[in-house]
Amino acid sequence: MRLLVVEDEPRMAQILHVALERAEFTVDTVGTCDNAREALSLIPYDAAVLDLGLPDGDGLLLLHELRQAGNCVPILVLTARDAVEDRVGGLDAGADDYLVKPFAIPEVVARLKALLRRPGGALGTTLAAGNLIFDTIGRDVRVEDRPIPMPRRESAILEHLMRRLGRVVPKSVLEEKLYGYGDELESNPIPVHVHHLRRKLMDAGANTEIHTVRGVGYLLTETKS
Amino acid sequence: MHRRFRSLQFRLALRLALLFVAATAITVGVLAYRAYETAGSLHDRELSLRAEDLAGSVRLDDAGNPRVELPPSLVRDYSAGAGTDVYAIRAADGHVIAASPQSFADRIKGWPAPGDDPSYFRLAGHDGSSESYYGLSIALDSPAGPLWVSVAHAGEANTLVQSLLWEFGTDLTWIIPLFTLVTLAIGILAIRGGLKPVRAVSRMAAEIGPHTTSVRLPEKHLPSEIAPLVHAINHALDRLEQGFAVQRQFTANAAHELRTPLAIITGALDSMAETSELASLKHDIARMNRLVEQLLRVARLDAISLDVSDPVDLEAVAGEVVAMMAPWAVAQDRAVALAGPGGPVWVKGNTHAIQDAIRNIVENAVLYSPRGDEIEVRIGPAGTVSVADHGPGIPAVDRERVFGRFWRGKGAGIEGAGLGLSITRDIMTRHGGSAGIKDNPDGGTILVLSFPSYRPGVETRAKASSTLRLDTC
Repeated sequence: MRLLVVEDEPRMAQILHVALERAEFTVDTVGTCDNAREALSLIPYDAAVLDLGLPDGDGLLLLHELRQAGNCVPILVLTARDAVEDRVGGLDAGADDYLVKPFAIPEVVARLKALLRRPGGALGTTLAAGNLIFDTIGRDVRVEDRPIPMPRRESAILEHLMRRLGRVVPKSVLEEKLYGYGDELESNPIPVHVHHLRRKLMDAGANTEIHTVRGVGYLLTETKS
Repeated sequence: MHRRFRSLQFRLALRLALLFVAATAITVGVLAYRAYETAGSLHDRELSLRAEDLAGSVRLDDAGNPRVELPPSLVRDYSAGAGTDVYAIRAADGHVIAASPQSFADRIKGWPAPGDDPSYFRLAGHDGSSESYYGLSIALDSPAGPLWVSVAHAGEANTLVQSLLWEFGTDLTWIIPLFTLVTLAIGILAIRGGLKPVRAVSRMAAEIGPHTTSVRLPEKHLPSEIAPLVHAINHALDRLEQGFAVQRQFTANAAHELRTPLAIITGALDSMAETSELASLKHDIARMNRLVEQLLRVARLDAISLDVSDPVDLEAVAGEVVAMMAPWAVAQDRAVALAGPGGPVWVKGNTHAIQDAIRNIVENAVLYSPRGDEIEVRIGPAGTVSVADHGPGIPAVDRERVFGRFWRGKGAGIEGAGLGLSITRDIMTRHGGSAGIKDNPDGGTILVLSFPSYRPGVETRAKASSTLRLDTC
């Protein structure tokens, strides 16, 4: 899987390069907007990491330009800017996700993988969290190769939680995605499904945990070893 | 009271009042002096004329003896009654030719001969009357030869003047204070009117702070005495604004310059092989990151004006904060939760700042709570956010101090820069709200953020948008 890192700070670029290669990505690194534009036009990257402060221009403009031109490569924006409005501006300009410096390298890798696992993304079909594997095409959930049978709605919840591993999935989002327009909402449906899901994962010995964030949603984490 | 004495109005009133009193005293004094003087000379002149009249009415009779034949008009004046005039005419040898009343003749017998210039005298009352007389004696020529004429008026020479002055004085006693009051009133009104724009300018100036550096005081309609001051203040504000702009730019640059190396160190540590030494280094750098982050936030709040005019749904914002912080809280073996009324709670403010404010208190609650605890963020329908923890609690004496910068609890092992709560209070103050602490009945403390009440119009509710970003596909 090939990634483009657009970062002008040589040390930062080097660290990202090494970390991403260790995560088994093929990485190209450029330091300017011009080089990034050229690289993106030549190679079909699976994703890009874009620093906003570049010596020959604003990363946000480059991003906007790419989206205008119909380039849909998933882009993770890195920024040292502190105005929150800037980050939101980044998302509006077409970034798929952003991280504010300083960030933890595992977070960069996790976010990139999440982007790549989106439908249409390069990692598309298989989601992983700890020893838990989810094949989104076969709708097949396994823990260390042992299949865990589960009904459609439970697997749908698990899929959303795995796609946003380590981040909260709002209950309202699960409700929207699980129940189509006109579907009768069961009484207290989501918590019941999550309860069953939790028990199944535990019984199967999965080293992941579903946390309830009362009043907000759910959060899947890998259990600390 | 001291303020009163220093006021321009008071000073002017006091000085004007003193001026009026002094001016009145001097005027009355001079008038009285002049009046007495004029009256005196008029009186003396009248007496001289009387003496000449008397001398003119002396005739020699057939026997050659001088005799006084007073014209009828004079007879009435010298009718010898109380309060009338007296006279005596003596021949050059000193014997009295005529006198009225007779007692005057007896008194005047021993007097020395007068000269050609009048000599004045004062007589105590005669005939037992309490009246006194003022008169003159003079040597005059007449058809009957040289005569010594003495004539005197009843009463003081200046009775008339005295009564005039008395009347004048009584008039003055109410006219002068009245005049003074009216003048003072006019003066005060004029000053008030003149100072009105100054007061307006003062009100504007009072609102100027680090967040409103673009305000300039109006220089029009100001009294010319005040205008240079206001002009100078505006110049000072120009320079201050430049200073703040520099500060703002510095903050923005500092953010970038500090974060980049920190990101490099963090990244480098993350890519090293795990050892216990590395773990503690990561811990240290995380702490550094947090401190820098909070310092930048403080600097930004100090330097940048906050737009707090948007309608903000507290429940939605708190939900975002809880969602954002849940992974971190879970990593610390704590849980976070949201308890709201289940619908929007509108307040007026700045979404990002309110997020910061809530995040800081949730962060504190997580750090100070025992492991396994759940920190609940409760939204009150009246526009409050309460975050309860089951930590050690904060003694009443420290409850204000925790909002100071760099304050840290005595509990060991808690790491924070000690800036979070001060940032939160600052943000709440900017929103016209407050941040306070109360005891948690279950142990620990409850931090309460209260926003002023706000009712947005229907259209503003529609305009308000949540900033919660979710994966869109």
